[in-house]
Amino acid sequence: MIAPDDERSGQRAIIRRDHIAGGMFIVASLLIFALSGDLPFGTLASPGAGMMPKLVLGLLIAFGAILVARAAESPPLATINWGDFRHAATVVVVTAAAITLYTRVGFVLSVTLLLFVLLYFIERRSLWRTLAVSLGVTIASYLLFNTLLKSPLPPMPFWF
Amino acid sequence: MESTIDSLLLGFSVAFRPDVLLYAFLGCVVGTLVGMLPGIGPLAGISILLPVTFGLDATKAIIMLAGIYYGSQYGGSTTSILMRIPGEAASVMTCIDGYAMAQKGRAGAALCIAAVGSFIAGTFGVIALTVIAPPLGAFALRFGPPEYTALLVVGLIFLAYMSSTSLARTLLMAAFGILLGCIGIDVMTGHFRYAFDIPDLGDGIGIVPVAVGLFGLGEILSTPSQSVTSKVKAPRMRELLPTRREWRESAMPIARGTVLGFVVGIVPGSAHIISSFMSYALEKRISKHPEEFGRGAVAGVAGPESANNAASTGAFVPMLALGLPTGPVTAVLMAALLIHGVPPGPQLVTQHPDVFWGFIASMYVGNLMLLALNLPLVGMFVNVLRIPYAYLYPLIIMFCIIGVYEVNHSIIDVWIMLVMGIVGYLLRKFDFDPAPLVLGLVIAPTFEMSLRQSLIMSNGAWTIFFERPISAGLFAVSAGLLILSAVSLVMKRKDWRAKLAEVEASESDQGRPS
Repeated sequence: MIAPDDERSGQRAIIRRDHIAGGMFIVASLLIFALSGDLPFGTLASPGAGMMPKLVLGLLIAFGAILVARAAESPPLATINWGDFRHAATVVVVTAAAITLYTRVGFVLSVTLLLFVLLYFIERRSLWRTLAVSLGVTIASYLLFNTLLKSPLPPMPFWF
Repeated sequence: MESTIDSLLLGFSVAFRPDVLLYAFLGCVVGTLVGMLPGIGPLAGISILLPVTFGLDATKAIIMLAGIYYGSQYGGSTTSILMRIPGEAASVMTCIDGYAMAQKGRAGAALCIAAVGSFIAGTFGVIALTVIAPPLGAFALRFGPPEYTALLVVGLIFLAYMSSTSLARTLLMAAFGILLGCIGIDVMTGHFRYAFDIPDLGDGIGIVPVAVGLFGLGEILSTPSQSVTSKVKAPRMRELLPTRREWRESAMPIARGTVLGFVVGIVPGSAHIISSFMSYALEKRISKHPEEFGRGAVAGVAGPESANNAASTGAFVPMLALGLPTGPVTAVLMAALLIHGVPPGPQLVTQHPDVFWGFIASMYVGNLMLLALNLPLVGMFVNVLRIPYAYLYPLIIMFCIIGVYEVNHSIIDVWIMLVMGIVGYLLRKFDFDPAPLVLGLVIAPTFEMSLRQSLIMSNGAWTIFFERPISAGLFAVSAGLLILSAVSLVMKRKDWRAKLAEVEASESDQGRPS
């Protein structure tokens, strides 16, 4: 599983990118396999609902194993650049909050807040410009979808 | 042939209706913008705007969405040439010599050659599509479940073989997509599969949340705003005309790129990306001055740009004639047709001639529109690139949420989009291409149904796949491709796929392909 490090040290072993990638797919597939117990595989003449998922899970495990087996050709795990992780995590949290609010407080409020938080707190844009963009874009989008395209967006519980 | 011309005339009568022209124009404009803007590619653009077409009839909807697709191929060249940022993944090769030409003060000429090459290739592609798709559709009427199973298998193997990442990685992604496609009620037995008592999952996972999450949100998560520059200088109108020498140097590369791109486009996989690489490699190999490549060779712009446009048209052949997507973009376009109650496939020509021929005729018109849009108005379009990315990505997130929610008015779909965004981010970190995942998701229902029907038909005898000539032939092709892959693996030979991966990696270090 673990590829040897450079020959000079001979002692340390390093984990490579595909050890983790392949390993994750194997573990996840085994877990899903365990969840598939109630799905009947059936027979070849009468395939059941579980046949396709179980075949595919078998393939996922096989391809995951190939990745692990050939992981020595992949770069070390430590070379993956996680410099964008903080930005990604922040965007995910803000987007998740907006989705939570989307059907509860309506499109206008949730999206205005989403834009405001991203622009003002994360991108550090000026307050007035942020307010103008957040409100302007939200109202324009609301009018475009709700009024012009007749494609209803979640309403606000109060007046929209 | 006469009936084809009559049908095409029917198509033009649809395509020239003012309302249809308007939607074709809108699609072309949006496509150009989508192609230019880093962080949002044609797949995300089409997925996000899919709900906008719900109020339209099927003809207008597919014409607008297809306009976004081939429009993005035109627009992608602009950022590649002016900023060395491939706004669209297929424009990676154009970055090399297009940007070098811009550095020499020939940005206008490079843009003009790219636009004219794209126009010629796009128009040739539509003519070939007009001729090939109807007879291919008629032939496909002979297909039964075993043939469809074999066709889907060969499609997946072809996709994996053509991919610039490894065969195992691509097939793993496709299998992951098929597994996602298994979620929901099994239509043959009524069993709930992996729905976890969530009623919304009973209908399965939609293509739109997955595609928007992987390609829209996933791209944004991987792109901190500080890393995006928006310095761009628009060429002046009088700088747009290439010299006589530049025209001469671009003529044959455009012709070769057009034919090569169309042929590659029919093959499953991210054909428009592969075609531009193959065209670049071909031009460099046959050039009398290969040392000019990388330093502003006209052929290095003309060939790849023509190839990727011809390929995007070629990709419509299997989609329209066989009902099979060759990539994620055609998969989403297929989903759009299905949402509008028009199943693509062999019977599309006979059952919905207005949609089929209207769509084809609109592509002739669309290519003309794009030529007009991309030359005189290039100065106006590049202004969009001056919008700071810090303002752009919150808007894209907003459109992702609206786009996904509006498909089914389901908040679960929006959560799926967010989860797929995180998955897309992680997949990029581990060097997986998410495109085969979407393709797997799209073909999953057809694949499962045709496989199970084949087995039931034969009373469990899997030899049915080798007893019927078409499916046996298709499986032989699959086996051949697997052997070819194994040979290059054993020989440790660096073939064109490995070279493509290297170029993509080096270009994405400098820009951000979408």
